[in-house]
Amino acid sequence: MDKKRVKILMAKPGLEGHWRGMIAVSSAFRDAGFEVVYGGNILPPEIAATALQEDVDIVGLSILSSNYMRLVAETIKELKARGKGDVMVLLGGIIYEEDFPALKEMGVAGIFVPGTPLKDIVDFVNEKMSAPAHKGHKTHRAK
Amino acid sequence: MAENKDGQVYTASGIPVKDIYTPDDVKKVDYNRDLGSPGQPPFTRGVYASMYRGQLWTIRRLTGYSTPEDTNKRYRDEYAMGQTGFSIAPDISTAAGMDPDDPRVSADVGHSGVPIYSIEDMEVVFDGLPIEKCSTYLADRVGGLLSPAYFIMAEKRGIPLNYVRGTTPNDLFTWSSMDLANQPPPDAYVRYAVDFIEWCTEHAPRWYPVSFNSYNPRDNGLSAVQEVGGLMATVIQYVDEEKRRGRIPLNKFVKRFAFNMAANNDFFEEIAKFRAARRMLYRLMKDRYGIDDPTCGQLRVHVQTSGSTHTHQEPLNNLVRIAYQVLAGVLGGAQSIHANGYDEAVCLPTEEAMLLAIRTEQIVALETGVTNTVDPLGGSYYVESLTNELEERAWDYVKRIEDVGGMAEAVKSGWIHREYKAAIIDYERKLDAGDVTVVGVNKFRLEKPPYKVPIFRPDPKSPDLLIERIKLLRKNRDNARAAAALKEYERAARSTENTVPAIFEAVKAHATPGELAEVQLRVTGGWTYPIAG
Repeated sequence: MDKKRVKILMAKPGLEGHWRGMIAVSSAFRDAGFEVVYGGNILPPEIAATALQEDVDIVGLSILSSNYMRLVAETIKELKARGKGDVMVLLGGIIYEEDFPALKEMGVAGIFVPGTPLKDIVDFVNEKMSAPAHKGHKTHRAK
Repeated sequence: MAENKDGQVYTASGIPVKDIYTPDDVKKVDYNRDLGSPGQPPFTRGVYASMYRGQLWTIRRLTGYSTPEDTNKRYRDEYAMGQTGFSIAPDISTAAGMDPDDPRVSADVGHSGVPIYSIEDMEVVFDGLPIEKCSTYLADRVGGLLSPAYFIMAEKRGIPLNYVRGTTPNDLFTWSSMDLANQPPPDAYVRYAVDFIEWCTEHAPRWYPVSFNSYNPRDNGLSAVQEVGGLMATVIQYVDEEKRRGRIPLNKFVKRFAFNMAANNDFFEEIAKFRAARRMLYRLMKDRYGIDDPTCGQLRVHVQTSGSTHTHQEPLNNLVRIAYQVLAGVLGGAQSIHANGYDEAVCLPTEEAMLLAIRTEQIVALETGVTNTVDPLGGSYYVESLTNELEERAWDYVKRIEDVGGMAEAVKSGWIHREYKAAIIDYERKLDAGDVTVVGVNKFRLEKPPYKVPIFRPDPKSPDLLIERIKLLRKNRDNARAAAALKEYERAARSTENTVPAIFEAVKAHATPGELAEVQLRVTGGWTYPIAG
């Protein structure tokens, strides 16, 4: 089987400027051998367009303001509209626990709050990407 | 947060710490030259002679959310609880200079702060609040409408501008550290900030027209040393600009400089940091600019507890962290303090969290006795030794910034952003290795969260309300007057003259934040944020 590196788009939908967490997570993903496309602050349509163009396996979103429900829903809608509905969506930031079920229902695969060890996020990705349930992907566990 | 490397203990910024300090460690300290009595140059022991015996620090918390109406309600609550100053946190649309119906920002309206688009919005925020008795901090976008709107409101209330008290940050260091859309390049910040300082010197002499702010850079991972170095390098950038212009005497130009710093975890290092910063500003004014005026070079500082130290896990632990950080601010001689809400890593602060934050400051002020004497740590072998060490290292950092062309260039080129990134990655590595301890997170972490705290949600309907309101504003104003005012602003911005009067006229004519920013960016060009993951 071809062993393509896991490719991740990291982005902040909307204009809120707290990027510290995203920089830390991006760096951990690179250290783990994933290929990271750093999108920075871009709006949901641009996130979907970039995800398509870069053919990423995962879209990692970082949101530290309280409008994440709307921004995540918009991003997933745009991904689906561009035929990238199969991409794995991860969400990090200040996310209320009571919203976890609704976000998962929307299609978010993993939610990570501040203080999550970076290793746990990397392990989560490795596990998900190697799971047989995750169909439609040509990727495998990164080294 | 001392850490061990090869058995050596270091401060959080990497200064080696001995097991004991003795008179030998401070033998080079000359009391009059290096410390001075409080209120006397070089102000190491404090900017005022009587400090908290004369007047307590201002309890001022950066607040704003949802709508001007909701924010007003919260300001009234805070005032009733004994808060003595206000601080406007603008929402993202206000900070980015985008009207709420701009599709780029619509999802962010009313988030992370309060949207303020007009004089009338400002009047709603301060409805029923005695601004003549309080001072207000306006975390405005450079060239934004918050300061003009506040001044115009004050005049409408019959308060002359030379009585209005408060601060506009106009600061390059913190503002450029955030990835905010729609921002002008660093040179444009410096130009406008210096315009505003000149204008206030003449028209609003009790206002602080600049607050050099290292809070966000510190929370982006910089150390105490880098924080102070970055602040001084920004001061140099601004004073050099006025020196080049030669419009007003430098001793007048620098008279109303204010500062805004973080209080992080390393208790004694933070105290030493505030003391070192005061001494450095005085020396900068005297040695570099020849301003030998004891009323200049006084570093008045607002201190905020470091949000980056607050944990999502076991959020009540943050109350303890915040209390120690407030104490560091007090022992460091702060003029104004913002204790964070303990729940800020979980949600926007609840009312209970806000009350606890105010009570934390009041308990430190009125129950612990730490305010009974001025600068109680002055003369401590350890604190004085750390103060010296911090100063020396911070001057080295100033030199590094000057070597890359000064602060504006360090920002423009992304040099400072590379410093942030390196610091963040280094911190994560230390966290992972256990070289730094965060209780309840990387040490003593419980399998299951032991409790939950209440959360606060802003009103998600607010964007529609604000969009309707700005449409109405555009419809009801004298459009010819607004267009003429914006044209005049553009003309002033393209010349070398001071742009502040033209911006005031545009705000009076009900030009919107989006229109003001559009003119600004047409003249200065935009700026691409230089950080990349």
